[in-house]
Amino acid sequence: MSNKHVTEWLNAYLDGELNSRQLQHVEAHLTECQVCQAELESLERLSSLLQEVPAPEFTSPERFAAQVNLRLPHERAATSEKKAFEIGWWMIPVGLLGTWIFIGTSFFVSDILSVANNLGVLAGASDWLVFDSASQADWSAALGQFGFLSGNSLDWAAATEAFTRTSLLEITLQVSIALLYLSWLAIWWARRRRQGHGQLLEG
Amino acid sequence: MTVPAISETELVTRAQNGERNAFSELVRIHAQGVLNVVYRMCGDAQIAEDAAQETFIQAWLHLSAYRLQTSFRNWLYRIAVNAATDMLRKEKRILPNALEDLQLKDPQPGPEALFSQRERTALVQKAILSLPDASRAVLVLREYEGMSYHEIADALDIPVGTVMSRLNYARKGLKEKLEQTVFLQVEAEHV
Repeated sequence: MSNKHVTEWLNAYLDGELNSRQLQHVEAHLTECQVCQAELESLERLSSLLQEVPAPEFTSPERFAAQVNLRLPHERAATSEKKAFEIGWWMIPVGLLGTWIFIGTSFFVSDILSVANNLGVLAGASDWLVFDSASQADWSAALGQFGFLSGNSLDWAAATEAFTRTSLLEITLQVSIALLYLSWLAIWWARRRRQGHGQLLEG
Repeated sequence: MTVPAISETELVTRAQNGERNAFSELVRIHAQGVLNVVYRMCGDAQIAEDAAQETFIQAWLHLSAYRLQTSFRNWLYRIAVNAATDMLRKEKRILPNALEDLQLKDPQPGPEALFSQRERTALVQKAILSLPDASRAVLVLREYEGMSYHEIADALDIPVGTVMSRLNYARKGLKEKLEQTVFLQVEAEHV
């Protein structure tokens, strides 16, 4: 292998990019091959010639940075990921508002149907939609049969259970939505404050 | 009052969060390197300054695409090489004409002085500019920025083998172009 010219390795040799095995091989070959020696010298000459080409005096880095700063656009081109995130971010309050309206409307309609049902307007057509007092009191009645509840306690338990099944559910859902919205608002405010702080530093 | 040194990673993170001051500091740190790369790519100081500014504007606009695990300098140099190439395409005034100007303005007195230093520099610059963009980029990063083959591969997003072949091609091309002119003079000077 030592007889074969190593011209293809000379660039990497010159740049110090050969591994130890390749390096040994090239160095061994160079000691006995004048053709490759001449080629290496030619490459070295070229390299020093390239270094002779001077770079001009450019603007100082501070001045250059100031010039670039003047040309920097205020709005950065958002990447598709960032755009998707921004859209998702603003969809959160919209989604929460939608859910809140849906829940409020559902319970409102349920209340109306319940009242209508109690008045007999619907003639039992909407039993599956409303919580009537009889079904609400099923669990309380069962407890009463076992002697846990009796008399006024039974009525109180039935009323409590009706409240638990309807109003408490509604309140829980709405409080959850409110908490989620407040969390979003807090994050939004923190982000805005951080951006404002960044702009203040830039000013 | 001494300002605590901030790491480049910290500066990049802050710049990614929109802090222009942090980005300006990055510009200040890398200005010289980027100016050097674009100048070697296009051979004209004015085009180089424009291309370097364009490099940093593009970097600012696409900073969110930069991943902290990679070298910021290499990422910048990739943008710089592209900016210089684009700028050269737009601007049609490239250095080679300078050689004719030099010969007219600064004739040498004796036949033994083949080229003045300025003319020789212009010839070398012309030869560099005549290389294809891809080979020239590899040559510039190696010869003028002293980057390793792996760093060049990372900066230009090409395999190391391609770096080697482009560098071989560039040097071979330069030797052929300069052999009959500048090389002879350099040899004569050394005798």
